[in-house]
Amino acid sequence: MSYVFVKPGMSPKEIVQRVRDLPGVAFVSVGMRDAGQSDYKNRHRIYDLKTLAPFYNEMGLFSAECHGGARWHVGIMNRRESPFEEINLLRELMPKVLLQTLIRETNMWGYRPYPKNIIEYVVERVDIDVWRCFSFLNDIRNMKTVAEVVMRRGRLFEPAISYTVAPWFDTKYYMKVVDDIVSLCGGVDEIILCIKDMAGVGTVQSVSELIDAIKQKYPGLVVNYHRHITDGLAIPVLVAAAKAGAKILDVQEDTLCRFYGHAPILAVEAILREEGIPVNLNRKLAELAVEKVRDWIRDYEWAESPFKGFDHMVTRHKMPGGAFPSSFEQAEKGGFLHLMPAILQVMSLYNQIVKYFDVTPGSQITWVTSSGIVNRYYKEYGESGVQRVINLLRKFVEDKRQDFDGMEPEEREELLQLFRQAPGDFKNLILGHYGKLPVGWPSEWVYKSAFGEAWEEKIRERKETSALENVPDEDLEALRKQLEEELGRSATEEEFILFLMHPKDAIDFIKFREKYGLAPLVLPTKVWREGLSKPGDKVEFELDGKPYSIELVSIGSETEGIIHVVLKVNNKTRVFEVATPRAKKVEAKRAVKPNEIGAPISGTVWRIGNPKRGGLKPGDIVHKGEEIANLESMKMENPILAPFDAQIVEIAVRLNQMVEEGQLLFVLKPLQ
Amino acid sequence: MSGEREIRKVLIANRGVPAVRVTHTARDKNIKTVAIYSTPDRLAYHVLSADEAIHVGEAPPHDSYLNMEKIVKAALESGCQAIHPGWGFLAENANFAEMVEDAGLIWIGPPPQVIRLMGDKIRAKKIAQKANVPTIPGLLNVNTHEDIVKWMAEEDVAFPILIKAAAGGGGKGMVKVESREEIPIALEKARSEAKKSFGDDTLLVEKFIEHGRHIEVQILGDKFGHIVHLYERECTIQRRNQKILEEAPSPSLDEDLRNEICFTAVRLARELGYYSAGTVEFLLDPKTKKFYFLEVNTRLQVEHGVTELITGLDIVSLMFDIAQDKKLPFSQEDIYPNRHAIEVRINAEDPRTFNPSFGTITRLEIPHGPGIRIASGIYEGADVPPYYDSLIMLLMTTGSDRREAIRVMDRALTRGLRVEGIKTIQPLLLSIIRHSEFVAGNFSTKFIEEHYNELISTFRERTTDDEVLKIARYVAEISALGPQSWM
Repeated sequence: MSYVFVKPGMSPKEIVQRVRDLPGVAFVSVGMRDAGQSDYKNRHRIYDLKTLAPFYNEMGLFSAECHGGARWHVGIMNRRESPFEEINLLRELMPKVLLQTLIRETNMWGYRPYPKNIIEYVVERVDIDVWRCFSFLNDIRNMKTVAEVVMRRGRLFEPAISYTVAPWFDTKYYMKVVDDIVSLCGGVDEIILCIKDMAGVGTVQSVSELIDAIKQKYPGLVVNYHRHITDGLAIPVLVAAAKAGAKILDVQEDTLCRFYGHAPILAVEAILREEGIPVNLNRKLAELAVEKVRDWIRDYEWAESPFKGFDHMVTRHKMPGGAFPSSFEQAEKGGFLHLMPAILQVMSLYNQIVKYFDVTPGSQITWVTSSGIVNRYYKEYGESGVQRVINLLRKFVEDKRQDFDGMEPEEREELLQLFRQAPGDFKNLILGHYGKLPVGWPSEWVYKSAFGEAWEEKIRERKETSALENVPDEDLEALRKQLEEELGRSATEEEFILFLMHPKDAIDFIKFREKYGLAPLVLPTKVWREGLSKPGDKVEFELDGKPYSIELVSIGSETEGIIHVVLKVNNKTRVFEVATPRAKKVEAKRAVKPNEIGAPISGTVWRIGNPKRGGLKPGDIVHKGEEIANLESMKMENPILAPFDAQIVEIAVRLNQMVEEGQLLFVLKPLQ
Repeated sequence: MSGEREIRKVLIANRGVPAVRVTHTARDKNIKTVAIYSTPDRLAYHVLSADEAIHVGEAPPHDSYLNMEKIVKAALESGCQAIHPGWGFLAENANFAEMVEDAGLIWIGPPPQVIRLMGDKIRAKKIAQKANVPTIPGLLNVNTHEDIVKWMAEEDVAFPILIKAAAGGGGKGMVKVESREEIPIALEKARSEAKKSFGDDTLLVEKFIEHGRHIEVQILGDKFGHIVHLYERECTIQRRNQKILEEAPSPSLDEDLRNEICFTAVRLARELGYYSAGTVEFLLDPKTKKFYFLEVNTRLQVEHGVTELITGLDIVSLMFDIAQDKKLPFSQEDIYPNRHAIEVRINAEDPRTFNPSFGTITRLEIPHGPGIRIASGIYEGADVPPYYDSLIMLLMTTGSDRREAIRVMDRALTRGLRVEGIKTIQPLLLSIIRHSEFVAGNFSTKFIEEHYNELISTFRERTTDDEVLKIARYVAEISALGPQSWM
């Protein structure tokens, strides 16, 4: 019998009903997205992930989370894969599986609030079945545009409540968020509710209580519990969630499990079975998928977090699984990995002062702000300074229960400097640019600290509206033109969407792919990362239905910044010149400004000036239409005419010099 | 035939495609060949193809391939009996032809006095008029721009007009003028180019026939007054006044017009006392079906190959025979074309801008299969130096009719020819032969300008071979440099 119970093309209503009708629970596999994000910095390549698709296709999953979050950005920036290519591949390889994205309401797949017209434009054009959408502020108003477009398209909207455990985020608080969601989505029949426990801190008691409350108030609402495993307690809490009435649980292949991702699929299936809760899963295929991961997972050891091991302290600092590896990566690159324990302590105190959820982009704001504070103290006062600021914050938060006036005057002074150099995003956050903070604005001293004397004025500017209303629409046609100018050609729809999300990185990505083609999609990970090492090593792949082979013959030694690499490409020897970072870059200056005259073609400057007046030198006056130089190319003459009356500022070429098309010839100063 | 007129060894006063072309036939005729070369051409294909090679000077043409004394001296010292000039360089230089003959060598080409006469566009036009060959209204000697203005007023000529070098050919020294304001600069440009290319800055001006088609007739004569034509070629597809695609027979002509043009050409050749191979060029006004004499090319043409393909004759071989005082072995009625042939010029140029592209040919794959003929001036690994003509290869295809010849050309351009390391106009040529108006035979000399954007937009975005090379480049870089920080 087939385990497939939901499929792309079904209406949201039908999907919801099928989940309700399940005797037990179903799984979302996050193996293609969050698993990679949490423990491998999103470096899992579609080349490897796609090997799981044939199993997923028949396994009976509710959905495969394979898109969104930081996978989009890391895809174009680091893996050089487009999320559109991934969708196309997966549609082909697992046509029976609902593809799921994770989208950050107005922040979408980027790190800033996008205007409404960009949100609409993009959401309308991305072929995803299940849209899991969260707000790091639980400001449900921010989800409105995504919800409308997704529901209008007949795709399934899965609003998520950002979940953590803190005294001020109690069940009553979350029930208010659920009410907002149900009211936004017009009921419970066409949505699935996700509880997004992104740090993995929910306890058996807290999660059971919340799900129970939801089921009592909204018995028809299907609940999906998403929980990271950082605290080491994921499995009992997942079991509790299922017992309380969650119908969908997030899991991943056991072989992908490290410390910050999700619970192992086979283990969760086994314990639920023992507990008498049926799981809609073809266990045999799930085992094969788990096995398949071993084929390639060792190629990603380099991408694993350097901070290994479960960490129950996550219940204090609350850094989400998804943010863990990227934070450590930044700390390592920035040379302050040794400050991580201190940063985590500051984070745990910081998030009691400014209360929101540490998930993108909130987690980045927390990270940049807290790591900034620690780094600043470390630079100015060394280790002892770091200890001092931790002690100061601990006294303020824990001993004085955030009673600002209860602190000593010099401590107050120090607190008032705490956020002065905080990043712009932190300042935007407390000014309401992202939406309303979940349990109210921070105390006044935080504004004084961030803005100094302007604090009162800034508080008056603070917005109470949704981010959707705060960001004005952008001119899409102008943006498209900007991209096309940058590329020097027309852009495809998909390129334009990449550009809307991450302008600079999208251009880098497109240029990379223009140069290296399908390399990111066809090369095995080891070759992608390290190349071929020994003569005779080869890589084989298929392209456009034909077999190809690239074999290493030799790598030469470096001479003047150039290494010659000899490859056999389908048995034909080819030599590639590879420039090392030491290669000399001799680039001719190019004419770019209106007053700079460039060569219209490549050729030889055989005359500067004209026969009537002879040569030219800087300072000479030339008149509009006057010939100022002549290029010869393959025996054709090409006069260069002065475009306006001008004085010559610079002659950038010598007589009889070879020039390239576009190379700077003259700099002129227009005469008034 | 006297022993003195027998050619056992020939010096080929050229480089690249024409030199290699002549070498091929010389080899077929068991005639030894001597190539000449400039310093940058030391390892050029024409040098490697010949039996011997002599260095004649540095890169600039006037120092090497136009260095007449040195070339004649090289021929004498290497024991040649004859010089074949190919096309371009000294092929239409009457002084050189005379110098060759005065040195006791055989000049493989038409009589020097005919070259001189036809090299002067003004006298050529007068002779054409005398032979009842229709000519374009024009002014035969231009000194100042006032001359042009006056002529236009007197003859009631409207813009555009064309200023040409009297000594010119091959599009050099030729400038189209659209308005009165442009005349002075255009005149200066034409004069300077004429001086540089032909050493003579005499200019003439003519009315510019819009949408004209360029039709030329191949003629062949022996030294006994026997002159035949080998039918016409259509050379209308041009860029910057230079042909890039030629075909035979012309799709523009019906049988009557064809006969009329061909016999007009023969009549003119007779009037001139022509021998050897030559071409009479005409401009056909498609509206009126009138044709006008343009010029006579007193040499082997680049595009002679299409005529060879449709007639089965070897024109270069016949030039050798005629130069050795042999009679033409056939008469007009023996010649009948029995298929269609197309030639494209593979120029080392950017296909969008026509800017010359030079450098090393890192990879060369040459098309083959039924109906394909290649005349190449390069090989894999060869350098294309910046000093000379951009032509690197001629690619010709045949078929029983035009449609078939086009199909074969499509195959040759997409499934065979591959030039790496430099840019060529290959993508443009493919766009042209696939363009519906070209296929229908509706085009003028402005075809490329008129359809430029369309042609460019149909350049193929990607081929699997290119894609694999991109992947290989990535593998090469990472293999040499190791994991990158951006990963």
